[in-house]
Amino acid sequence: MTGFLALRGLEKRFPNGTFAVAGVDLDVAEGELVALLGPSGCGKTTTLRCIAGFEDPTAGTIELAGRRIDTLPPNRRAATMVFQGYALFPHLSVWENVAYGLRVRRVDAGSLRDRVAAALALVGLAGLGDRRPEQLSGGQQQRVALARALVLEPRLLLFDEPLSNLDAKLREQMRLEIRALQQRAGITSVYVTHDQAEAMTLSDRIAVMSEGRIVQLGTPRQIYDEPATRFVADFIGHANFVSGIVRGILGPGSLDVEVLGRVRLVSAAAATYREGDAVVVLIRPEEVRLVTDDRDAVPATVLRVGFLGSSAIYQLQLAGDEVLATVPMERGVSLHSQGSRVGVLVSDAALRAFAG
Amino acid sequence: MIAIRRDPAAALLAVVAAAGIALALLYPLGAVMREAVFDDRGVTDIAPITRIFSFPVPRQIILNTLLMGSLAGALGTVLGFCFALATTRAARGPVRTLLHYSALLPLVAPPFALALSTIFLFGRQGLVTRGLFGLEADPYGLSGLLFVQTITFFPVAYLIFDALMRHLDPALEEAALNLGASRGRIMRTVVIPLLRPGFAASFLIIFVESLADLANPLLIGGDFNVLASSAYLAIIGEFDTRKAVAFSVVLMLPSLIAYFAQRIWVGESSVVTVTGKPSTGRARTLEARFRLALLALTLAVAGLVLLLYLAVVAGAFTKLLGIDNTVTLDNFRNVLGGIGTRAMTDTTFLSAIAAPIAALSGLLVAYLVVRTRVPGRIAFDYLLMLGAAAPGIVLGLGILLAFNHPPLLFTGSAAIFVIAFVLRTAPVSLRSCVAALLQIDPSLEQASANLGAGAATTFRRITLPLVRRALLSGAIFSFTRNMTTLSTIALLVTPNWRIMTAQILNEIDAQRLGNGAAYSCILIAIVLVTIVVLERLFGRAAVEVGA
Repeated sequence: MTGFLALRGLEKRFPNGTFAVAGVDLDVAEGELVALLGPSGCGKTTTLRCIAGFEDPTAGTIELAGRRIDTLPPNRRAATMVFQGYALFPHLSVWENVAYGLRVRRVDAGSLRDRVAAALALVGLAGLGDRRPEQLSGGQQQRVALARALVLEPRLLLFDEPLSNLDAKLREQMRLEIRALQQRAGITSVYVTHDQAEAMTLSDRIAVMSEGRIVQLGTPRQIYDEPATRFVADFIGHANFVSGIVRGILGPGSLDVEVLGRVRLVSAAAATYREGDAVVVLIRPEEVRLVTDDRDAVPATVLRVGFLGSSAIYQLQLAGDEVLATVPMERGVSLHSQGSRVGVLVSDAALRAFAG
Repeated sequence: MIAIRRDPAAALLAVVAAAGIALALLYPLGAVMREAVFDDRGVTDIAPITRIFSFPVPRQIILNTLLMGSLAGALGTVLGFCFALATTRAARGPVRTLLHYSALLPLVAPPFALALSTIFLFGRQGLVTRGLFGLEADPYGLSGLLFVQTITFFPVAYLIFDALMRHLDPALEEAALNLGASRGRIMRTVVIPLLRPGFAASFLIIFVESLADLANPLLIGGDFNVLASSAYLAIIGEFDTRKAVAFSVVLMLPSLIAYFAQRIWVGESSVVTVTGKPSTGRARTLEARFRLALLALTLAVAGLVLLLYLAVVAGAFTKLLGIDNTVTLDNFRNVLGGIGTRAMTDTTFLSAIAAPIAALSGLLVAYLVVRTRVPGRIAFDYLLMLGAAAPGIVLGLGILLAFNHPPLLFTGSAAIFVIAFVLRTAPVSLRSCVAALLQIDPSLEQASANLGAGAATTFRRITLPLVRRALLSGAIFSFTRNMTTLSTIALLVTPNWRIMTAQILNEIDAQRLGNGAAYSCILIAIVLVTIVVLERLFGRAAVEVGA
């Protein structure tokens, strides 16, 4: 199925032969928000800039609503971008910044006034139209950038790490606002970020990128629960990797693995496994439970303990592995002290094996 | 290919710029080279050049020129450094303001004013030398020339060091202090090494300016002949074009080498652009003894500068300052009653036409270089800079030779002056616009394109307003330079258009020093009034665009 936005074999190769984007295929459905997530240098921003037309791909095509746009100049693409540094015009007022795209399109004065006012109201900045960008706080500037993009009712919204300049609290609030605005307007969106929490809260689907390629595309839940590679598992959320040995092959994606002291039935990422192979097994820290009186538990020693408020984090020494565990705090329950012996319980369903 | 398809506006801009530079700049400079190599029958003959090197008199002229340039460069650099040190670290409040403006004054005054007042004050009949001390002084020669050139050109060094020192991170000095270094040691081991590009840049720029200077060697050089004045006199006195061309070619060589050495070694970082970034305001003091000595020196020089300009005014309002100190308006009557009024309007008109053209040309080439991907775009930068690197007299000679016959017969027309002014001053606009464009995040222009604006709309509505300051300072500089230059127009003047600096030279040649001083006062007044008016009209920080 071809998406509303369709990237086919997109490549951006630099004159020195290295690839920023090394063959990206991606379909985004109408009204969907897809995040491009990855560490710096993975090609996510270059992919976005190719869609906007600021970079010329060296191979591949980009289609929007069934029309090729990669041959169009950047100002004819109807793919409006929210820039990382906002790129608000410093010599124009907030109102004129938002009106800019409409003026370029020669929208008549009356409807321009209505649309700018509506866009400013939408982002909660009604009444601040006369201000200059530098008179606004970071969060307000962010909203102006959003209003400037939304006012054009574009077919495609592009976000280039729009929240990276905000402090942590504001960032969390803006995530939810952006998501609400995007869903209400139903605008198809591509959202570049290196912040996995941001990608999880905002997206319909996440494309995890590494070295110029998409390594996994799926819903936040799929990406988190069934990471396709060790890289994805490590990049999304927190991850412990412990070593295991394959003891039985039960079918595609399902193995018996000897891990944490006994053979357990675990899910496995796509690969070829044979009995006796060494594998690494993912355990999320929040899946680890600490007990004191369970004979099935794996014995462990507390190396360090840290109090985080709503939870506590333990660094544990198991037989051959070090494991981090995050344990929710309950009022009145005391922490295990450093050096104490505890038991570790992990449900088999929480484990996932990767070829070692 | 892709660049042209994707950006036809840039391709068009490149073609226009290439055509303009080739026709107005390379063609005249080429004419000088052709005249140097071929005689009037088209036969190869480089005898005029070899003659310069083989005879002792012209050889001495070359040595004189290099000596003058090097000494003026060294003295101007040291003085400019002292002023910058004083205004950034030693002086505060009104003293700082006094030092700052007295260091800027020589920039807006015509070159003669200082030579003239030096003669008034320190000449054979000088008010100070003879009147106060009864001395028989002779300012004509190398020492007088260096005195005048140092005062004329040290502002260039001052602006360079002032900008560099404001941008020095005070944390570096605090760190050195924290590690136990004395203030003197910090100056020696931290501050001066960090300013090294500034020393190189200002020495080389003053060297180039000194070599190009025509007015002062003519007025106060006496028997100390240099290449620029020799080229001028070869045409004006001997009507020997080929001799003038030979001097010009020899003069061009060290000028171009010094100029481009400065560009390549020192680069964009040291180019003075008035960015208006405030200093962080943390105390950066000097040792007390040194601070007092520095203040004494700079205040003395500032006093001297003011005295010299007061002498011009006094000279304009007296019969003959130093000899007959009767107050009179005769000088102004002579000037304004004679051709002076026409010279005023002609010069102002031509300068005002050329200034915006020069500023815009600089901006367009800057845009081409910084913002487009036109192949070979950096060449435009270097080529346009030739207009500032080549000495004015050489440029004037080239224009004279190039546009002297149909279909490009501009001799005596307004166009010839406008071309000369634009070539000479567009490079400064280019440098300040390049700096301004580099400061604008490309994402602003990308955002404009992303919102649907084409290249022209983006340029007009986003780029232009943001480089307005640089454009304005380019235009002001151009106007000031056009009004005050002699070397560029010395060979181009005809009775059709009267140029004030050429008139001043005539008056002084005819020993009518009072008239020369009156002219100079009028010239300074026009320049100052224009700067103030332009700043008032266009200099406001906020501007409403398209509202």
